[in-house]
Amino acid sequence: RPPFVVRCCSFGLFYFPFLVIFFCSMVTRLPWRCLMIILLSLFPEYIVAFNGYFTAKARSHFISSALRSAEALDWHIVLRENPASDFPSDFEVVQIRQASHSSLLPLEDHPYIKRVTPQRKVFRTLKYMAPCNNVTRWTQKWQSSRPLRRTSLSLASGFWHATGRHSRRRLLRAIPRHVAQILQADVLWQMGHTGSGVKVAVFDTGLIEKHPHFKNVKERTNWTNEKTLDDGLGHGTFVAGVIASMRECQGFAPDSELHIFRVFTNNQVSYTSWFLDAFNYAILKKIDVLNLSIGGPDFMDHPFVDKVWELTANRVIMVSAIGNDGPLYGTLNNPADQMDVIGVGGIDFEDNIARFSSRGMTTWELPGGYGRVKPDIVTYGSGVRGSGMKEGCRSLSGTSVASPVVAGAVTLLVSTVLNRELVNPASMKQALIASARRLPGVNMFEQGHGKLDLLRAFQILNSYKPQASLSPSYIDLTECPYMWPYCSQPIYYGGMPTIVNVTILNGMGVTGRILDKPIWQPYLPQNGDHIDVAVSYSPVLWPWAGYLAVSISVTKKSASWEGIAQGHVMVTVSSPVRNNSEVDGEMTSTVKLPVKVKIVPTPPRSKRVLWDQYHNLRYPPGYFPRDNLCMKNDPLDWNGDHIHTNFRDMYQHLRSMGYFVEVLGAPITCFDASQYGTLMMVDSEEEYFPEEITKLRRDIDKGLSLIVFSDWYNISVMRKVKFYDENTRQWWMPDTGGANVPALNDLISVWGMAFSDGLYEGDFTMKMNQVYYASGCSIAKFPEEGIVIAKTLKDQGLEVLKQETVVVEGVPILGMYQTPSEGGGRIALYGDSNCIDDSHRQKDCFWLLDALLQYTSYSLTPPSLTHSKSRVAPPAGSDRHLPERLEGNHLYRYSKVLEAHLGDPKPRPLPACPHLSWSKPQPLNETAPSNLWKHQKLLSVDMDKVVLPNIRNYRPQVRPLSPGESGAWDIPGGIMPGRYNQEVGQTIPMFAFLGAMVVLSFFVVQLTKSKNKPKRRKPRVKRPTYFQQQQLAPTGKNPTV
Amino acid sequence: MVLRRLLRKRWVLGVVFGLSLIYFLTSTLKQEERTILDRNLLEARDPDHRIPWKVRFNLGNSSRQITQCRNSIQGKTLLTDELGYVCDRNDLLVNGCCNVNAPSSRQYICKSCLANGCCNIYEHCVSCCLQPDKQPLLESFLNRAADGFQNLFTAVEDHFELCLAKCRTSSQSVQHENTYRNPQAKYCYGESPPELLPI
Repeated sequence: RPPFVVRCCSFGLFYFPFLVIFFCSMVTRLPWRCLMIILLSLFPEYIVAFNGYFTAKARSHFISSALRSAEALDWHIVLRENPASDFPSDFEVVQIRQASHSSLLPLEDHPYIKRVTPQRKVFRTLKYMAPCNNVTRWTQKWQSSRPLRRTSLSLASGFWHATGRHSRRRLLRAIPRHVAQILQADVLWQMGHTGSGVKVAVFDTGLIEKHPHFKNVKERTNWTNEKTLDDGLGHGTFVAGVIASMRECQGFAPDSELHIFRVFTNNQVSYTSWFLDAFNYAILKKIDVLNLSIGGPDFMDHPFVDKVWELTANRVIMVSAIGNDGPLYGTLNNPADQMDVIGVGGIDFEDNIARFSSRGMTTWELPGGYGRVKPDIVTYGSGVRGSGMKEGCRSLSGTSVASPVVAGAVTLLVSTVLNRELVNPASMKQALIASARRLPGVNMFEQGHGKLDLLRAFQILNSYKPQASLSPSYIDLTECPYMWPYCSQPIYYGGMPTIVNVTILNGMGVTGRILDKPIWQPYLPQNGDHIDVAVSYSPVLWPWAGYLAVSISVTKKSASWEGIAQGHVMVTVSSPVRNNSEVDGEMTSTVKLPVKVKIVPTPPRSKRVLWDQYHNLRYPPGYFPRDNLCMKNDPLDWNGDHIHTNFRDMYQHLRSMGYFVEVLGAPITCFDASQYGTLMMVDSEEEYFPEEITKLRRDIDKGLSLIVFSDWYNISVMRKVKFYDENTRQWWMPDTGGANVPALNDLISVWGMAFSDGLYEGDFTMKMNQVYYASGCSIAKFPEEGIVIAKTLKDQGLEVLKQETVVVEGVPILGMYQTPSEGGGRIALYGDSNCIDDSHRQKDCFWLLDALLQYTSYSLTPPSLTHSKSRVAPPAGSDRHLPERLEGNHLYRYSKVLEAHLGDPKPRPLPACPHLSWSKPQPLNETAPSNLWKHQKLLSVDMDKVVLPNIRNYRPQVRPLSPGESGAWDIPGGIMPGRYNQEVGQTIPMFAFLGAMVVLSFFVVQLTKSKNKPKRRKPRVKRPTYFQQQQLAPTGKNPTV
Repeated sequence: MVLRRLLRKRWVLGVVFGLSLIYFLTSTLKQEERTILDRNLLEARDPDHRIPWKVRFNLGNSSRQITQCRNSIQGKTLLTDELGYVCDRNDLLVNGCCNVNAPSSRQYICKSCLANGCCNIYEHCVSCCLQPDKQPLLESFLNRAADGFQNLFTAVEDHFELCLAKCRTSSQSVQHENTYRNPQAKYCYGESPPELLPI
């Protein structure tokens, strides 16, 4: 694999080649991309501002009396359900239908109403469409890691201003609040738990010495090449403050022992090797909780991933940020996407998933398997207040902020447990996810198990007994939207098995195994016999976790049956325990995984679309460049190219059009083509086995249709987008272009088709739709009978290579062809995949996909295309030479098809098709509850056993922060014990000394004066004053200071 | 009398005050500077400076009776206790020691280790490193350890902790940051890093 590791800080998405681990500046820097703020009028809502603060009841009374005159008006008060709603307020949001200006007049006339203004919705978006016409940019780009890093940083800095897109009333949103108070940490504080005795490590940018917010900084160490321990960015200070600040903006665990590891330089550079050494030190120091507000896409960085496993195996509870690459799917960052790590996503204070929070399934398991659910939990990550670099408080956003919120909560929780033996990475994660509150309307690949609930986690943890549990804890493929995407498509006979990748958490020990085989028990009264279930699992659950992949398929007898089937899978996990005798000691725990699926009759062939996943490759491990060359700051193709990651919108669209989309995670030889109408190959980077090529040819003769969305492949451009990595003194060369066009040409050559090595870019109109063609290729060769559409585009290849802008007319980009054989299938080619890909898409072309599917599935040729003026004669392929594979490329290193060979790499032998061994059902005459979620809880935890002393209906007191107001913020009822006045830094003794000096000099003056003029005045008059002042002196509170 | 009159003058007092203020400020600032300087000095040491290690080696008396053992905690299936026994997780006793009588338990295993002191299995590395005759090798490593390891190896207290820490993969184990130098033998108790294999 290439010597590059790209790791980026979850604070932003930064790719840097070579292991430059990017970190996230929380510092707001304005990027070269403009941040656009648009104000839109949201039609029916008005903000009614009052002259003073009134209770909700009084406000409602004022408004109704004001509007009494206009009775026809249909209005109501918009409820604001936030912690502040119990307190008097000076405004109300009123929704008025058919509002005209005159109807607002009575409101404005009311004596207590100051003004009425329309509610506005604020959109803050990145100005995304970087113009692709700046000629000079190619020269400065791609040359080394540093420019790449900077541009991406700026992208990120824009992201943390944007918040949940679902939010309706954003103007009310931005009150930064004390996150520890909102999560009710003060209930635990009042019980005397403040994190004492827990060692927390903060891996970040360091911390200055004697920061006034921290009372127990045990150690600061530096692992970078900069000779300082201090934080030059403020990121590390903020993170440490959220965990352990004791004043102003309070953290969760002020008495915890802080270990500060400086692993990022002020230039935001870090290397895997620094982390390895620092992690070793953390193990030696027996750290309990470790916060890592960083992350990157490279889950193939084995030394790093192994080290994280090693760390959790040594009982270090790792909490990490899931990434700031949302709202795109398939953007989870490592190490937060590991099973043994608590991965944290971000929400805002209105419980919307923060826009920046990374989401979608993990992509390690592709193409054969299916991703795991991540993040594990979400918590506040938007506008959270934490410690400033030297003093005071600031508010920041990002999953880098959400992660220490959980790390702080975990630290506090650890200190509440009497028997620390029971606390380990698995039991902590079990307690957090079992207690989390699910957010309505959000799927599990965005929110995980829901929002952190500190007090419930406390209750669970304090009645915890070692056991195994599952995440997700049940499989209900009918539950929408939580179980998206499973709930978006029912299963049917003949479809590819639906795979659910469940994570087993084993709180009993760092290693465990599954005893015997998992048992599938269908419920006969609930049609459980209509499905087959196959289960595969980790041979050893280490560290603390493993996978349990459940494949579900419909039995043959249900080919035309419709209904719901239920059952469960029983798994027994065992872990070795220390024992005194010679006999093996083992502890076991049995968990039940309820399964519920919806079955429909097999849809007709024409409705079924098969998505080829097997031939999609991505970063990591290799350098597979982006499909859109304009996206300079995101040069890698790393989102998985799956219908549930970055092709999610396309999948949703196809579903809404009535198509059933399945995923092929195996070679083309492994599916029954007679079942499917269309095979879609989008942006494939992989090579093809000769057997696959033969089989596809046969399938298409028998009626299967093929849609290919290709992408660019131009050797000169690939050489141009290589870059020199300063850290390794090596060149990083892409292994394919946007797609592997030479391999695709091998596949389609039998029909006399080929893509060219051209590289085109531009806007055009087709079928009344605006299309943006971003870095695509053209069709070089097409059969004469076919329909070919051509457009006028810019030659981006020339632009990249020579900085010349040349407009080329009649570039063939779309081809449609009916194979001649009897009942033969159809083939459609299109030269660019960007318009159906969610990442960096500017304009979608789902309408084009619809048209192509109409053609391939139903043989309906869209007249607007066939009779279009753009239709040209199919190119014969003589004028343009076809792309050759880049000499010396390392594709064979990452390919499932090629293997290294003397000379050119050769295809490997065709692997056997995956075979599932279906579990033998053990039917039960049982019925399951219809709502699986409510009934499936962490086993054997009796939450009522642990009573909270103080669970009053706690409302944190919230005071809005006026814009100019800086840090100081009094904690209502803050109970931080300890040395409040002792460590206020060096300023206080200095001032005291100064004051004393001034006082002293004053007395000297007085003394000399009085001694000099003794005869003229009566000394008695003077004396008392003198004594008085002398008494004042020692107190140091002389007002003259 | 002259002195007294002089003292009476306001400007004299002002000068006295000003001077003492300046003295005070500079002394506090200097103090602060010195602490920063100290830290930097600690980091920027000359190349042949030795790490002030404080490892206590238990010379050869591995047969001593102990009631509680520390062990290597992390292993998937194997563990090494502080006496150098490697055993199966199932053969671990309540006190944290390997059950010496179990068939899987053996002391000082170097089975998966190569001549350069790098092993395939972490637990073997620790066990091998605990062998009393490895002590000179470890001492010479401690005396010459790279600066990057200073934090780690000054905090190590005894032979067992040293072996646990030394055998872990570290910055010495990787090439190009994201790849092991030798994925087959990456746990090293010896001085040299793993043998560099081409990617």
